[in-house]
Amino acid sequence: MNYRFNRYSPFAFCVAACLLLCGCDSSKQAGPTASDGAAVGEVASNGDVAPGGEAGPVSELAGKIAVEGSSTVAPITNQAKERFNEHYPDVEISVSGDGTSNGFASFVKKQTDISDASRPIKQKELDQAQANSVTFVEVPVAYDGLTIAVNPKNDFVKSLTVDQLAKIFRAGDEAKTWKDVNPEWPEEKISIFSPGTGSGTYDYFSEVVLGKDGTLRSDNQINLNEDDNILVRGVAGDPFAIGYFGYSYYERNMDDLRAVPIVNPAGNEVSPTKATIESGEYAPFSRPLFIYLNTESLDKAEVETFVDFYMENIREVVTAANYVPLPDEIYAKAVDNVANRVTGTHYLTEEGEKREGPLSEVYQPANLKK
Amino acid sequence: MNDIQVPMVDPGRAKQRHTISKLFRMACMLVAVQAVVILVILLSTIFFRGIDHLSWSFITGVHRDDNPDGSGLWPAIIGSIVICAICGLAALPIGIGTAIFLEEFKPKHWLLRVFHNLVQLNITNLAGVPSIVYGILGVTTFVYMFGLIESYEANKAPSIEFGARRYYQVRTAAKTFVWLPVEDKTIRLLEINDPIEAMYPNGQSFMLNVINRGDPKPDDAELLGQTVYRGSKGSIFSKHPWYYLRLPFHKSVLSAGLTLALVVLPIVIISSQEAIRAVPDTMRDAGLGLGCTRWQMVRTIILPASIPGIMTGAILAMSRAVGEAAPLLAVMGGIVSKRTGPENLMDNAAAMPITIYKWARDDNPGFWELSASAIIVLLCLLLTMNSFAILLRYWAEKKFTAN
Amino acid sequence: MRSSAVSKRNQAIVVALLIFCATISVATTLGIVTILFKESIGFFSRVNLSDFLLGTEWTIGRSKNPADYQYGIWPLISGTMRITFIAMLIAIPLGLITAVYLSEYAPRGVRAVLKPVLEILAGMPTVVLGYFAVVVITPTILEPIGFKPYNAMAAGIAVGILCLPLVSSLTEDALQAVPNSLREAAFGLGGTRFDSVVKIVVPAAMSGIVSAFLLAFARAIGETMIVALAAGAIPTFTIDPRGPSQTMTGFIVEVFQSEDVIPGTIAYYSIYAVAFTLFLLTFITTLFGQFIRRRYREAYE
Repeated sequence: MNYRFNRYSPFAFCVAACLLLCGCDSSKQAGPTASDGAAVGEVASNGDVAPGGEAGPVSELAGKIAVEGSSTVAPITNQAKERFNEHYPDVEISVSGDGTSNGFASFVKKQTDISDASRPIKQKELDQAQANSVTFVEVPVAYDGLTIAVNPKNDFVKSLTVDQLAKIFRAGDEAKTWKDVNPEWPEEKISIFSPGTGSGTYDYFSEVVLGKDGTLRSDNQINLNEDDNILVRGVAGDPFAIGYFGYSYYERNMDDLRAVPIVNPAGNEVSPTKATIESGEYAPFSRPLFIYLNTESLDKAEVETFVDFYMENIREVVTAANYVPLPDEIYAKAVDNVANRVTGTHYLTEEGEKREGPLSEVYQPANLKK
Repeated sequence: MNDIQVPMVDPGRAKQRHTISKLFRMACMLVAVQAVVILVILLSTIFFRGIDHLSWSFITGVHRDDNPDGSGLWPAIIGSIVICAICGLAALPIGIGTAIFLEEFKPKHWLLRVFHNLVQLNITNLAGVPSIVYGILGVTTFVYMFGLIESYEANKAPSIEFGARRYYQVRTAAKTFVWLPVEDKTIRLLEINDPIEAMYPNGQSFMLNVINRGDPKPDDAELLGQTVYRGSKGSIFSKHPWYYLRLPFHKSVLSAGLTLALVVLPIVIISSQEAIRAVPDTMRDAGLGLGCTRWQMVRTIILPASIPGIMTGAILAMSRAVGEAAPLLAVMGGIVSKRTGPENLMDNAAAMPITIYKWARDDNPGFWELSASAIIVLLCLLLTMNSFAILLRYWAEKKFTAN
Repeated sequence: MRSSAVSKRNQAIVVALLIFCATISVATTLGIVTILFKESIGFFSRVNLSDFLLGTEWTIGRSKNPADYQYGIWPLISGTMRITFIAMLIAIPLGLITAVYLSEYAPRGVRAVLKPVLEILAGMPTVVLGYFAVVVITPTILEPIGFKPYNAMAAGIAVGILCLPLVSSLTEDALQAVPNSLREAAFGLGGTRFDSVVKIVVPAAMSGIVSAFLLAFARAIGETMIVALAAGAIPTFTIDPRGPSQTMTGFIVEVFQSEDVIPGTIAYYSIYAVAFTLFLLTFITTLFGQFIRRRYREAYE
């Protein structure tokens, strides 16, 4: 193809951007307010007491930390990172939220220092870790209420049962329209927005709704995307859409989404809120979130300092990311595990099956599997 | 513009035909003006969305997750400039060289002539290859190097590298960090029991003061910063100068720059060819007539005469490279969250088009407006580059008319 | 003064260097073809060619179990063609008429505005047009009339805007290559300007115009960022432009974004198979376009 550069082309951009430059001028007038605002914010955050702050606000600690995994957990790690970098500006932390499974795939190949996970590690992944002699510490960081959301214009779905969700999401006899789920609902095509198959949220949802053997549909009514943002936008723009994602994404977009109350095993319709998630009333979609730490990486000063900082500020960080903090005993236990390098997962039985139960019961030394 | 008068054979019909002609002309104009309408709508919507966030703190700030008001574009601006510079350094010499070969060295030997034609044909077709395909080429060749060399591990030095300096980082009693020299890079942790030579991050060296845990801390602040507890461990970390190299290049600005160089290479070649072709043959003949070899003629006559044209094309090719996003997505992934520009050739980077893309996809609507602000900055950068091209051409035209 | 032997030797070195430079562009093409071909073989050793060419379901990466994957390329091709078709519907008429106006009618003043405007549009980074599609076109124009938040239409319109300057500049070239003697002959026979344009100039430039269309078509097929932003991520085999659609380029970008491309997996090989299809389509279209273009150039030069 012939891209021609004739005499007009540079001039063309001049004309265009002159318009834009005029705008830049006016923005300079608007500038002070904006930058003042930012400055106030910085003062406020510098005013926070630096943890272990005897050394002053800024440290020379240098290095790089690679974090990969769940996009549900990424907001928490990002909050920790933001705060950490105010005190340790020379540590470069890369947080990639491309899904729990993708995160573990890199983690067991020693390509990352920390893995964010919205489900515990699986036997298969543990095997790969052992094969590559990767050892890790398992740290629960927060509760999440996996939120099932519809468009605010959708006024017919008052609540959903797990069976109805299965009808919508299961591969094979999938519902085409809302009417297929409940005869009283309109005969409109359901458009579904789901995290991608590399996501821990996908795994968790699939297991809770369809059981171990069920598979989620993959036809052309389901939008699969690792990017939770796309899911939020998709549901917000389509009156007949349904989607699910971490509670944080719902909390940030409450105006554009409506969370559907879920009928819990006790038979009550419960909406996801911080209170119902913490109490466990929002069942079966309350779940713990984790980070996994490579023990070899924990020997690095920058990683250890970051993890210490993360754990010292965990309540603040989790709340800022719109999730629900865990009980203090669990955090205390996690800090111990990190300090003593207690490696292995609590979530697998000796037979390689997933261990079920509330976090406080599972996260016990007796359940540890290396 | 007057239509040419035609003999009026049938006044009624002729009039009708002229009306049709006039109407057609009007219709054409109305359609042609749509391009202006589209551009005005495009620029004005982006402008009004983006203008509110455009401020100095936006230009100099860094991306902050879920905080559009506090976010900025600086690392992306630097990243784009570095990637573009690498792209230019690779694409321009190769592209201009190819153009000279194609225009000035038409070979006589049949084999070379076949090669010559092949190159020419190849370039026009390369320009039509979608940029994402170049991205795939870049991933295979630069990022993974065909999988021939072992891949990256977070806690291991790459087997083939050049320029890395390694230190042990150790925490002092003052909770600051100092560095110790590394003799064997496979030892990842160094236990400190005796005083050894250490240095501050600024390079100043001193003797480490080692005390036992429980001993009283020195009162002197400077000495405290030089004191570590017996048994403390230093962990290895590496410092990379800007020219640090390792194989494979992995997801780095070097991979990105080289991939973009391949994307713009056909554009550089084609525009350089046009510039060289514009030099009149009389100048060539004059040079050759004076007994120059072909290369002397090219070096002393053709290149000086065509360099403004070549540079104009080069700048336009670079502005294409600055706006290109798809190959970068393939080679570096969608990176937005960087605190600085790339620190060395093997570092990854945020880039403006990628940042625009990721912000436009964010669930926080604040970032959509920020994305528009970033577009304004990108267009301003393109404007600067293009004004430079105009100046260059203006200067060249003046110079040549003066001669 | 240098001896001519030294100059000769220098020249030989320089020519060798220049040939090396020229080799790189050939090596790029060879590299693309070899890599795409080699890894596509990896794909087709796992997937039947007939499943790939005839299947109407594409579910790679859409199911947890790779055994459930469907490998029919048609949903991706249909997505690409739907968007390309919409784009051509916009770019071809607008571009053609704009070119006619610029070449045959436009006074100097109008030209001095219109040409730069087209140049700006041509130089607009595609991610900007993608942004325009998803943040402006979809919510303000399309969603109120029942389109989904991600749809083929918005992407098609933006790609059309992208191709418009390309069509108009290449078509204008073709129109200007028509010798003035033909126009004068038309006037001499008593034709109006309308007659000369519609009955003489455009038909005379037809091969050039067709080649412009083909090149724009190739460009639209290969466009990536606009569809990645605006078109959504469901590979659908349909002609309905209201819903989400995934194109070949969209699929490639989505895979690159969502996971580390792990060599040896079927998702990894599928990128190459799709890219190879895409490359063949664009390469053949471009080649054909160049061929036609060269012929009309010969006709009048």
